[in-house]
Amino acid sequence: MNEDLLSKKDLLELTGISYGQLYRWKRKDLIPEEWFIRKSTFTGQETFFPKEKILERINKIQEMKDNLSLDELADMFSPSITDLTLDRDDLIKRNIVSQSVLQFYLENSRPFQHFDLSRMLEVYILEKLLQSGDINLEEGKMILEIVRDSATETRQKKCELVMIRKLGVSSCFLLVNTESFKVESGTKIVAQLSLLHCLEEIKAKLL
Amino acid sequence: MESKNKGDLTINGFGSSNGGEFHHVFLNGKGTINTDITCIDFECNGSGSVNGSLTSKTAKISGNGKIAGNVNSSSLVIEGRAKIEKDIVVTKMKVSGHTSIGGSLKGEELKVKGRLKVDGDCEVDLFKGECHFTIGGLLNAEEVDVTLYGDCKTKEIGGQSIKVKQKSSFVSSLFKPFFQNELNTDLIEGDHIEIENTHAKVVRGNHIMVGPNCHIGLIEYSGTLKIDKKAIIDESKKI
Repeated sequence: MNEDLLSKKDLLELTGISYGQLYRWKRKDLIPEEWFIRKSTFTGQETFFPKEKILERINKIQEMKDNLSLDELADMFSPSITDLTLDRDDLIKRNIVSQSVLQFYLENSRPFQHFDLSRMLEVYILEKLLQSGDINLEEGKMILEIVRDSATETRQKKCELVMIRKLGVSSCFLLVNTESFKVESGTKIVAQLSLLHCLEEIKAKLL
Repeated sequence: MESKNKGDLTINGFGSSNGGEFHHVFLNGKGTINTDITCIDFECNGSGSVNGSLTSKTAKISGNGKIAGNVNSSSLVIEGRAKIEKDIVVTKMKVSGHTSIGGSLKGEELKVKGRLKVDGDCEVDLFKGECHFTIGGLLNAEEVDVTLYGDCKTKEIGGQSIKVKQKSSFVSSLFKPFFQNELNTDLIEGDHIEIENTHAKVVRGNHIMVGPNCHIGLIEYSGTLKIDKKAIIDESKKI
């Protein structure tokens, strides 16, 4: 693992939070257990965190903790899909998806009434990738398929969607709980997207 | 939970049930429930066992209870002896007697008088104990308030305010040199820490008060530090 690590002491100093707050957030599941990395140092055991992830998370918590209760925050960060439904107009109003992508999504799925969170996730991923111009519509269909098929996985674990292209042929896959991966040099990673991240972004738009 | 129309389950004497959903469940005598059970009130008097998970609003185990799966209940009272082999999620939990938990415990309020053994982590808002406890993982609580009634052990303690006191009575003060209860831990981290009779490798915090009979490897503090004459500190650093 080549991630930059940050010791607990440095984290407290850098962010200005106290031990009490850190442990409270851990208890409320605002900071996932996997981020507490124990390593032995010359002073004994110390706890380290993945630097970028933890700083980003703590910033977010500090920004939002005035408006939201800790339990609401925990809901937001948790990967589990909460029961919530919206209809089409709401999605457009809340800026989750644009009209054209929504149309594409509807054409490619069975008819349904309301958007629940897993549908929102599907449509949001499409929106992100199609709007950025990284993928074409054909590839969009492929992504839709894999995200839909692995809905049970995305509900619990941290998943990452990766799209690669080699000699004009594209393929995509879903990485579940993976630390890192490598591709050979002729292959180009077209897009890489953390589903957990997307969920957080959607939830932020919903609140 | 919609269980108004559900029946009650009562086992008096020897008996067993296959589990399911009920309103009240009483196990008096030696009752066995063979699979998972969901109910509003669960009460076990005598020697009862559940060979699955228990989901309830209130649960009370008096006597000897054994649950092979998880427990999920808003209130859990244990008087006597209980053994839970997996995780517990509760709002309020009270232990008088002996409880051992094979997994981890998560809740808001935990009051212990007696003996508590948790193999995993123990995460609660308030941990109040006059007890003898062993926690295999981390004890994480907003407020830890413990009076030592035996040798206690935990891997780590973390929280806002942490107080560890020695049981004080006239009799124990007479025999003090012979009967010392100790808390053994690798690491204590908190904003306010008051400890007595504690052996810790590292203590980190803001305001730290080290009482008598402590043996601490390293203290790192950012606010104030008070050390009793009878405490042994190998090294202390202000950050």
